[in-house]
Amino acid sequence: MSRSDYRDKSRSVSPGPDGGEPAARDPHTRDPHTMDTVINWCRQYSLWPLFFGLSCCFVEQAAAFASRYDIARFGGEVFRGSPRQADLLIVSGTVFKKIAPVVLRLYDQMPDPKWVISMGSCANCGGMYDVYSVVQGVDQILPVDVYVPGCPPRPEALLQGLIMLQKKIMETERPAAAVLRKGGTEGSREALLKAGKTKSRDTRGPGYIDIPERGTSVRPPQFYGTRSDLMWTPPPHRIELTEHQTTLTEALTARFPGVVRQESPTSDMPSFQVSGDRIKEVLRFLKSDSDPEFLRLDDLTAIDESARRRPKGKTGPTPDFTMVYHLLSFDTAERIRLKVGLKGRAPKTPTVTDIWPSAGWYEREVYDMFGITFDGHPDLRRLLMPHDWEGFPLRKGYPGRATDMAPYTLKGAEGHEPLDAETALAGKVESGRYFILNFGPHQYCTHGVIRHILALRGEKIAGMDIDIGYHHRGAEKIGEHQSWHQFIPYTDRVDYISGAANNLSYVHSVETLTGVAAPVRAQYIRVLLAELFRLSNHLVWLGTAAHDVGMMSPAFYTMREREEILDIAEMITGGRLHTAWFRIGGVAQDLPEGWKAPVDAFLKKFPGRLREYERMILNNPIFKGRTQGIGRLTRKEAMEWGVTGPNLRACGVEWDLRKKIPYSVYEDFDFDIPTQTGGDCYARFLVRIEEMRQSLRIIRQAAGNMPGGRYITDDYRYSIPKKPDTLEDIESLIHHFINATRGPKIPKGEAYTATEVPRGEQGYYIVSDGLNMAYRMRIRAPGFANVQAIPLMAEGETVADFAAILGSVDYILADVDR
Amino acid sequence: MHPITNTPYELLSPWEPNLLAMAVYVSAVVIAMAVVLILTARLGPKNPNPNKSRVYESGVIPSGQAQFDFPVPFYMIAAFFLIFDVEAAYIFSWAVAFKPLGFGGWIKITFFILVLLISLFYVWAKGGLDRGISARGADKR
Repeated sequence: MSRSDYRDKSRSVSPGPDGGEPAARDPHTRDPHTMDTVINWCRQYSLWPLFFGLSCCFVEQAAAFASRYDIARFGGEVFRGSPRQADLLIVSGTVFKKIAPVVLRLYDQMPDPKWVISMGSCANCGGMYDVYSVVQGVDQILPVDVYVPGCPPRPEALLQGLIMLQKKIMETERPAAAVLRKGGTEGSREALLKAGKTKSRDTRGPGYIDIPERGTSVRPPQFYGTRSDLMWTPPPHRIELTEHQTTLTEALTARFPGVVRQESPTSDMPSFQVSGDRIKEVLRFLKSDSDPEFLRLDDLTAIDESARRRPKGKTGPTPDFTMVYHLLSFDTAERIRLKVGLKGRAPKTPTVTDIWPSAGWYEREVYDMFGITFDGHPDLRRLLMPHDWEGFPLRKGYPGRATDMAPYTLKGAEGHEPLDAETALAGKVESGRYFILNFGPHQYCTHGVIRHILALRGEKIAGMDIDIGYHHRGAEKIGEHQSWHQFIPYTDRVDYISGAANNLSYVHSVETLTGVAAPVRAQYIRVLLAELFRLSNHLVWLGTAAHDVGMMSPAFYTMREREEILDIAEMITGGRLHTAWFRIGGVAQDLPEGWKAPVDAFLKKFPGRLREYERMILNNPIFKGRTQGIGRLTRKEAMEWGVTGPNLRACGVEWDLRKKIPYSVYEDFDFDIPTQTGGDCYARFLVRIEEMRQSLRIIRQAAGNMPGGRYITDDYRYSIPKKPDTLEDIESLIHHFINATRGPKIPKGEAYTATEVPRGEQGYYIVSDGLNMAYRMRIRAPGFANVQAIPLMAEGETVADFAAILGSVDYILADVDR
Repeated sequence: MHPITNTPYELLSPWEPNLLAMAVYVSAVVIAMAVVLILTARLGPKNPNPNKSRVYESGVIPSGQAQFDFPVPFYMIAAFFLIFDVEAAYIFSWAVAFKPLGFGGWIKITFFILVLLISLFYVWAKGGLDRGISARGADKR
């Protein structure tokens, strides 16, 4: 029996007593026996869901079992940590091709009878993520009983899904006969669906034939049918270099004549072309000898130049790929960009891991996505995509959409197991000497699908490798086919607990490139929402991280406050997790009437609650014992490894972009940067608690001093105009029409800016080739760098401490893997 | 302790220590567990598959073996404890007979304790009291 056979057998309907047609294909063929009713009654009110979350939907699932919604009232019991104890699999979120074999294994390991709820658009059909790394619906590999629509569905929707499943159990299952081995039906019994045959391949569902697919229809490499070329835009925003930057430029070009060439003008920071063979010298100079020293490698990425549209008549050598390095100086709070052109379809370039060890993952990602090889890299292998993946997804010729590829089937899931742990650790620790433990991808403490591979000596971690990419949603590739506005909802989902704060990073970059200035009222609204979401994020973190070290109660309290914040966010934006509320040049709508009262009520209530948490959690001697002195990171390491956000501030570095490189009127606000010097887990807790207090101060000021005026810029070239204006004058009407349909054209140029999201510095490097979508959309995720530094904190600690460390770092997989 | 009487009420009372109540309790437990185990084994659906019979380790296939050289960090400390503890017994017996043994006994036990201390410092210096991996995986190489 092949592996696929047993599945078909176990999931098919048991044949009737005469061995003929399945007896219960039509639920009404046989009336339920009393025994059926008794068994079904017991089963429907004691469903044991598996504690298993894939992405954003799991946050709403978690809300469903937390204090306000409390799924246990409906018969969904305590979420089980092991599949052996669960009989309900709630597939909450995006099913990635890398995680699909794991989902399948967990389902297989659950005892029968078992049921499956597919929660959210991604699990149902791929949803917004019609992209190379995502399975277009979990029903292609698992039988699904109930689909819960939404992106994400509200907790109430999940509760309804549970009730529907209970109804299905009671009304259609006839378990008495099955129990006596005489036919009958129980558990999931729907056959798998085949994409293109028994289910529509359109991710929006059937009925959308002839309606253009999501995103622009203009595709690389030729961009046929683009109408952006017919549109005029002013040149992109240009900056004047400060005196200091000019000095640096002169010093750099004088030190490396003919090697370093300044690019001018630019929209965001000084930018230099460097000839390939000397890049390491230049970087080394900038890191340790220049004035100022650029201590941090902010970001490292590449661009595939093969689909660039060149002005007519302009020829000359062009690179096939460009390597882009963004460096940051802590002393002067400024960045510079270095670019290296590479030739050939599979080019090579020297590694910079010996200058910045943090380049390790960045270079692996570039190798993974572009096929660029780094000479001298200690561990060059795929990072985000599965180890046996073919092709380089961010190359221009690679199909971006999953629907352009062969459908993902059961065979695909069975044939592509995650990398063997021993292979992943090869080269890191001596083989055979250590006990190897997979900590994830399905584990309570990992806070999402990430796999820590630990080499243990007794209870201590001797060495480790981190396998990421189980949550790779191809956001950067999607950015290359969504128009500039259409991409905003995708930014929400990059760090799905921080909501609107994500929007800010993106629109800030686009506004830097175009020079659009959002009105002050819009900026205040942005700050208000960004800080509310910082609180919301820290509350989720506080509850779950305390849970990781053994405190069960805090999660129930913090989720209560979080619901109150989400109520405010919902009142303003209409959304809970994913608000998609900021726009290029402002926000989507003005604040609704009566917005201030709930904000004020919350401001009044929250400080007391925060004190309560401090007393309950931080003063607890057991909690202190579990976190103090555990997972230490030194100040220098944190700065060099690109660790950002509260994790950096817990190492004694007073660095917060809101103060150091202010954006969106943060300079108008009075707040402090909380720091700690311990660098351990406890310090990270202290910093975040104090940050909540500072956020509260900012919210109080933003709400109290909310200025009047417009909520969106009156320069409508790049933004979506106010609807009433479109009814008044033809200019606004045209801009509304263009920008709401095919989207604005953004002038040719590039910009990198970052904002301080709750987890650290999230930057967007956007490259426009003068089209209605980005040529390259690079997201610098704080989690990526923070997680890369986890081995520094964890090696030498015990497994129990590892849980505390993971909790204190506060990462989220959508952000790490994008 | 109460005297054991034989009225039926007291025989079955959980407050009175007696064997009958204990026996009833034990058999009730055994019967309840047997019913649950046998019923689930007999009536529960069985759909064996390769994944189900595999070890659950966070959803991936485990690597390496379950039987391996498990380091026992407390082993050395336990062994030293035993050795030094047995020798402490000599000291106790000397203390009991302190007067009859006199000054000669005192000299001998002092020498004995000195040897013990030297061996303790020796064990300490050799790292016999350390356990596990020092911070940052120094043991790795």
